[in-house]
Amino acid sequence: MIEVLKTGLETCVQDFPGRKGAFGMGFPPSGPIDHWSFRLANLLVGNEPGDAALECQFIGPALKFKAPAIFALTGGDMQAKLDGEYVPLWQSVAAGAGQKLEMGPALTGARCYISFAGGVDVPPFLGSRSTFVLGKCGGIDGAPLAVGGEIPVGVGEGISGRRIKRKCLPPLPNNGKWLIEVCAGPNDDWIDKAGQKRFLESMWKLSPKSNRVGFRLEGPKWTFTRKAIDKAPENGSDPSNTIDHGYPIGAINLGGQTPIILLNDTLTLGGFINPYTVPSCAFWKLGQSRPNEIYEFELISIEEAQARKRAINATCSEDSIELA
Amino acid sequence: MKFDAPKFLPGGDRFIMVQFGDDAEIDLNFLALGLTTAIKADQTRGVIDTNPSYNSLVVEYESDEISYGDLQKELERLIGGLGSVEKLELDSRLAYLPAMYLDPWTRDCVADYSAKITPRDWDPAYVAELNDLEDAQQLARVHSGTEHWVVAVCSTPGLPLMRPLDPRCAITSPKYNPPRTWTTLGAIGVGGLSTSIYTTSGPGGYNLIGRTPVPLWDPRQRLPVFKDRVVLLNAADRVKFVPIDKDEFGYIEARIADGTYEFNITAYQRFSVGAYKKWVASLNADRRF
Repeated sequence: MIEVLKTGLETCVQDFPGRKGAFGMGFPPSGPIDHWSFRLANLLVGNEPGDAALECQFIGPALKFKAPAIFALTGGDMQAKLDGEYVPLWQSVAAGAGQKLEMGPALTGARCYISFAGGVDVPPFLGSRSTFVLGKCGGIDGAPLAVGGEIPVGVGEGISGRRIKRKCLPPLPNNGKWLIEVCAGPNDDWIDKAGQKRFLESMWKLSPKSNRVGFRLEGPKWTFTRKAIDKAPENGSDPSNTIDHGYPIGAINLGGQTPIILLNDTLTLGGFINPYTVPSCAFWKLGQSRPNEIYEFELISIEEAQARKRAINATCSEDSIELA
Repeated sequence: MKFDAPKFLPGGDRFIMVQFGDDAEIDLNFLALGLTTAIKADQTRGVIDTNPSYNSLVVEYESDEISYGDLQKELERLIGGLGSVEKLELDSRLAYLPAMYLDPWTRDCVADYSAKITPRDWDPAYVAELNDLEDAQQLARVHSGTEHWVVAVCSTPGLPLMRPLDPRCAITSPKYNPPRTWTTLGAIGVGGLSTSIYTTSGPGGYNLIGRTPVPLWDPRQRLPVFKDRVVLLNAADRVKFVPIDKDEFGYIEARIADGTYEFNITAYQRFSVGAYKKWVASLNADRRF
């Protein structure tokens, strides 16, 4: 059991791949945004890669261990200290009963994952322990960590001193610029050639008005094909309006002139077009990018996106780990 | 219009969207729900989930198990197996939901919007006028005079998007622009050609015409109807609104609170698209209730 002393900024229990098979009931998958760092955190402490762990966002929590535990931190650097001593990222660490883990704002990246040997032991909801804050379900009482709350931990067999090999780490950029993969579709044919070129050749700023529901982007205007203008009236009046349709996770959803990347806690359906979709291999970049950082988009094929996903999956294995 | 052949549109590395047509013709939803049912029965390799809507279906798949091209072939095979839309039969429960039309709570929502965002008429009067109905009372009569077809359960947990099955009860209205910032829980709204029920008290764009006291989802699964399910309705279910007054609203609210409310849902029927279309063809859709 672990006691919550400070919550951080909406720190939540997540698991991977999250709540699957529930679109038809109106539930998005939830789960960690940077699922690469998340899985590495679990592997370090001897868990299954998808076991429940904590996602810290921008500012980490302060926790007190009530019993000895093995834990690991991955992703963004939130200057974690265990009883005042800096804790290395990407490495399993032993904590004794009564020790305090204190974290601050992210110095690098945006999300830090805390795994515990044995995993966070909360009851699954619709097959997943992931917290869905808008739906008030999953995780611990359907909500982010609360001061004075307790995080139940299962029984694990982790050991300290396991670390991720340097060459297997997600390569965080140090200049605030990200090259994000996108695939064309489902509605790229609503955007004219000039608009498609503009999207792919422009720099886009990640707006501070972004969260796990969606990442809002600021950039140039969009222009449309006839399809967006000359359409059945039930589509709605704006060129970006369409008859309500299901939203792929990662879709770049265009509401008026504002593109929003739909993330893990998105609405599952709506009436705006999705000209492009960010594939799962780029989600770790979304998870670690900070407001006002710059995105450029790299158009790749579906097959290439699937190959890059397989490459990331392959690093989420014991082969990526060495003893410190 | 229904396409001659469905379109397959990619959504990144793990989604494929099947689009049957480009408008909101109800046949297109029947096809999307027919395909959803066929995928489940077929247990198609690699398929993780389906997300149907008015004229399309988004399918989530695992590319390590099936390629985009092979999945498209499998979906084409299943669509071929559906045959003509008239031959479709779908499991369809009928849920009787109590509804207080022209209620004070959604009236407050409209007043709040008028005061804080931009002035507008009371929604039921506005929608009645747009649809050439005598008054808000007739709007309530028309809206409760039909079964509403659940096109999809989506957007937020348990939220149904519905279309009236009886063309004599069709209502059209534009959505709010800009949208409301809050909506009372259980509000019944109409927008475009559809009806919805707010399952969270968030923002919204539909015109509010009534309110139901019953929850449409329960993450704690407290009431008996939620014992084996988290959300009340499935796509392809039908909803019949049963008009109630304020006293009965209060009575039902109390029964919900003490856990003794008995939901009225029948589950013995199947919906035949062919029989439905034959019935619709026999009606004079110009006559209202």
